[in-house]
Amino acid sequence: MSSILLLNILWQVSILAMVTIGLGIVFGQLKIMNMAHGELVMIGAYAPVITSHLGLSGYLQLPICVATVGLTALIMERTVIRHFYGRPFDSLLATWGLSILMREIVEMIFGREYQSVSSPLPGTMSLLGTDYPIYRVVVILGVAVFFFTLLLWYRRSKVGTEIKAMVENPALAQAVGINTSRLSSVCFVFGAVSAGIAGMVLAPTTRVEPMMGLDYLIRSFFSLVVGGLGSLEGLFIGVGLIGGIQSTIGAFFNQTYGYLFVLTLSILFLWLKPNGLYRSN
Amino acid sequence: MFLKIKTTLIAATLILPAIAGSAIAGTKIGVLVPDSGPAGLFGPSTRNSATLAAEQINAAGGINGEVIELVFADVGVPPAEAAQAALKLWKGEGVKAFVGMHDSAVREALTGLFQGQVPYVYTPVYEGNACSIGLYVTGETPSQQLAQAIPFLMERETVKSWYLIGHDYNWPRDTNALAKQYIADAGGKIVGEEYLPFTVADFDSSLQKIKESGAEGVLITLVGGGSVGFNVAFAGFGLDKQAIRLGTLIEENTLAGIGADNANRLYSSAGYFSSIESDAAKAFAASYEEKFGTDAPALNTLGESAYDGVTLLAALANKAGSFDVSTIEGIAEGTSFQSPRGTSTLKGRHVNQSIYVAEGTGGTFKVVKTFDNVPSSESCSK
Repeated sequence: MSSILLLNILWQVSILAMVTIGLGIVFGQLKIMNMAHGELVMIGAYAPVITSHLGLSGYLQLPICVATVGLTALIMERTVIRHFYGRPFDSLLATWGLSILMREIVEMIFGREYQSVSSPLPGTMSLLGTDYPIYRVVVILGVAVFFFTLLLWYRRSKVGTEIKAMVENPALAQAVGINTSRLSSVCFVFGAVSAGIAGMVLAPTTRVEPMMGLDYLIRSFFSLVVGGLGSLEGLFIGVGLIGGIQSTIGAFFNQTYGYLFVLTLSILFLWLKPNGLYRSN
Repeated sequence: MFLKIKTTLIAATLILPAIAGSAIAGTKIGVLVPDSGPAGLFGPSTRNSATLAAEQINAAGGINGEVIELVFADVGVPPAEAAQAALKLWKGEGVKAFVGMHDSAVREALTGLFQGQVPYVYTPVYEGNACSIGLYVTGETPSQQLAQAIPFLMERETVKSWYLIGHDYNWPRDTNALAKQYIADAGGKIVGEEYLPFTVADFDSSLQKIKESGAEGVLITLVGGGSVGFNVAFAGFGLDKQAIRLGTLIEENTLAGIGADNANRLYSSAGYFSSIESDAAKAFAASYEEKFGTDAPALNTLGESAYDGVTLLAALANKAGSFDVSTIEGIAEGTSFQSPRGTSTLKGRHVNQSIYVAEGTGGTFKVVKTFDNVPSSESCSK
């Protein structure tokens, strides 16, 4: 395996994991199939566009990303999402509608045109005997640190335990004094903001326009189908398989076969193993 | 009494627009633009360019002494729906001729619908070889964009080996079939050829192949967002140092999305750029800005093509003395017209036109070479 392919797989898996974690949390914990997840990625990708339009410092990208995506998610949760907790199919339709609304609003503000976002770390570096974009290397490391921290926090913190309790038995969780309504909100907003940050991170490496979210929704959905819902371990298995296989087949054959394989794999999983490879309980 | 007033009011509302309509309207021209769908980005600049052409035609006395009025319809929809929209303009609104800026699938549906009974000018960049009675094409075809541009760039940038990459449909495949011949004729070789599905959003494996192939030139026939994503990643990997890029549909919006940082040694070949230095092109850009403001949608080869379409239609109908297709068919060959692109002449339902090769380094196009009166090898023999 050439080193560039290895790095490409790492990059694909990192960004796919970053995009998928939010979708996984919201589905796994709240039973909401959020079809507007890609649009949250898209809104996050507009954060650097906002700072450059307003002539603000690049360091404000993250606060602006968290603020815009967080606020959007809070409004979504308070007005629509909360009425659909535990109703995956109904939520699919409702959030599909929301996704169209979100695209139209962004188009109204920024127009349909492509936005260009400069890379904060341009250039390539020598790594494993090949030249690889510095920015991608930094992102891969950043995502690894993020997931490691998240895993530790979820295992050890009180909030992590409360979330587990809420998922296992909402009524009992409420009875012991956990505010499940607020906890659900927090879960949804957290999942959304992680998607937004993924979008912000992706922005300098891809096209930025109102329709971009669809690309990310589909692949992260497939990752969840293959890996299984409701655990970080399952998420990584799914993301690794989908991202890795598509990159590998794309490199050795062509992208059409890569995509065909991912579709076939997802269909087989939905049909024969609907719980995915890894089931937490 | 009350009833009477009501009846009068209703009658008035019905009659007034009809009178008003007939007072202003002379000849109606249907202009088919993509307001929605994947090409929706080009809807506004297309409308604006057509509107400017109509204004200038009316200021010069209209077509056959009658003022023209443009009637727009959205054809950024599936072909069957687009045909319905065109039928509504034709039979419902009494449109006398059509100008269309849309994809080839819609064009096929429309030529099937029109059956040569109404003049129809098709304007965007396309693969060529559309030959129907009453159909006239102003858009660039692959031979026009590449036959001279490829040898020119191979010499300018000392490029010997090419990698061809495009979306998987007939326009990129037809373009590359011709490109291979031009590259071979100029002494170059092909080191890779690849067609991607529209759903692909990451181009890592293609970039890896380009890198390993050692290509010195990449011919890009990816369209829209795919082209933006590919070019951003291409420069991210530092491949702009290894190879030049040439696109046949990289216009101003695509370049803006690619961004100045990622446009080093990126070339585009087309019949129009907003930065063409000729007097006609400058005058057009100035009146566009004056009428639609500095924030107006960016001018580009697809949008501007509607100006050429309306202008060719006026030239044909004026020369024929009517919109009758059989009369126009008799006089069409050899009809010339002026536009921001320069002088174009109708030959075999297509136009011999100027082709510009522009460099995007720095984030804006600079024309580096102009070829005048370029013929199309994909025109109709008659």
